[in-house]
Amino acid sequence: MENSNELLEKIKKRNIRPIPGWWFRLRERSIWGVFILSVVIGALAFSVILFAIQQLDFDLTAHMKHSWAEFLLGLIPFFWIISLTVFLVIAIISIKNSKKGYKFTSPALLGFSTALSILVGTLFFIGGGARWLENTFATNVNIYESIQEKKTKMWMRPEDGHLSGIVSRVEEQEFGLTDFDGKAWTVPYDQADISPMVNLSEGEKVRIIGTQVSETVFKAEKLRPWGGPDQMNEDNRKK
Amino acid sequence: MIITPENCKGLTDNEIIEKARLNLDFFSCLFQRYEAPLLRYIRRVSGAAEEEAQDILQEAFIKVWRNLNDFDPGMKFSVWLYRIVHNEAVSHLRKKKSFGKDRKTDAGKYANLLWEVEDDDSDTAEKSLLAAQLLEKLPVKYRDVLILKFLEKKSYEEISDILRIPEGTVAVRINRGKKMLRDLVES
Repeated sequence: MENSNELLEKIKKRNIRPIPGWWFRLRERSIWGVFILSVVIGALAFSVILFAIQQLDFDLTAHMKHSWAEFLLGLIPFFWIISLTVFLVIAIISIKNSKKGYKFTSPALLGFSTALSILVGTLFFIGGGARWLENTFATNVNIYESIQEKKTKMWMRPEDGHLSGIVSRVEEQEFGLTDFDGKAWTVPYDQADISPMVNLSEGEKVRIIGTQVSETVFKAEKLRPWGGPDQMNEDNRKK
Repeated sequence: MIITPENCKGLTDNEIIEKARLNLDFFSCLFQRYEAPLLRYIRRVSGAAEEEAQDILQEAFIKVWRNLNDFDPGMKFSVWLYRIVHNEAVSHLRKKKSFGKDRKTDAGKYANLLWEVEDDDSDTAEKSLLAAQLLEKLPVKYRDVLILKFLEKKSYEEISDILRIPEGTVAVRINRGKKMLRDLVES
């Protein structure tokens, strides 16, 4: 009795009152808010990673004079991979701090958060959101090097056998190409392996593997469309 | 109004909480109900002396009062209470830098606390002392679960809720703790 009276006296003397219930509800909702936000941002990052993968052309890697590692490093979107990782960690930490989050192991929470980000990210990618997001970043963030910019760098090395640009004219055994730096090329293609997705028409963007013959002549060995299916659709809509 | 144990008799923990929200004095019912087992638990976890343990318990109950609106009625109040008391005891333990030395000198008393042995029961007292010394050598995370499981008689689910760790982790720590104790005995 004595000790309980002492406790009550302490509470009254220090004027300690219960923290209002809304504070705890707000905290819990904030924690879940952080979790959902983290999953969504992770999903956006994942969608751009998918977009980057879509831009890779694996069957051309055999022709790359440089190593696989350099090829991949040139295109891997590190910024988005790091973002995905960071926000997955934030998602796990936030849910661990929720009322019931402790009941789940970290691997289980990681699996759950990752699966959610992958699912939402994939849907966003399919909806065309990844390209839009990437372009928005490229336009508004000066220091950001977009996947398109990386790709352009990689495909503007005629001395290494990679050329890209816009078809300017088409003839029987050669076509004219204006590369992305504005330089005009003549491209003999009579012996080239042409992808069925290439229409070879004026205004079309293409990637070429071949050999630089002279300052303005590039002999094509393989011809591929510049972008993925959505790029092709975009190009077709513009015609 | 002075609240006596008679006022608290027959009331569940949740009923007392509801009454305490309206009249602080009813909060003493909870204190009286849990004082003895929790003092014992605090001393098992932290090795604190009786007076110190009482201070820790009082501070824990102040935290209970302050966070009363965070209590989820779906959980057993005793489990939530143990969680807060555990955290307070561990926090006290961390502050005591010379804890190791204190524990060694009080090993005999600590052993009695752990197993509630009568002082004149020399054989059991000796075994308890050995067990206490062995338990002392375990890392805190294994010692905590063993104390809760075997001395406080808590279920896996309750230990999970008290320590805020998954039930699977509780099981793993109990197994590892027991194995460590066995290894210590055999060495």
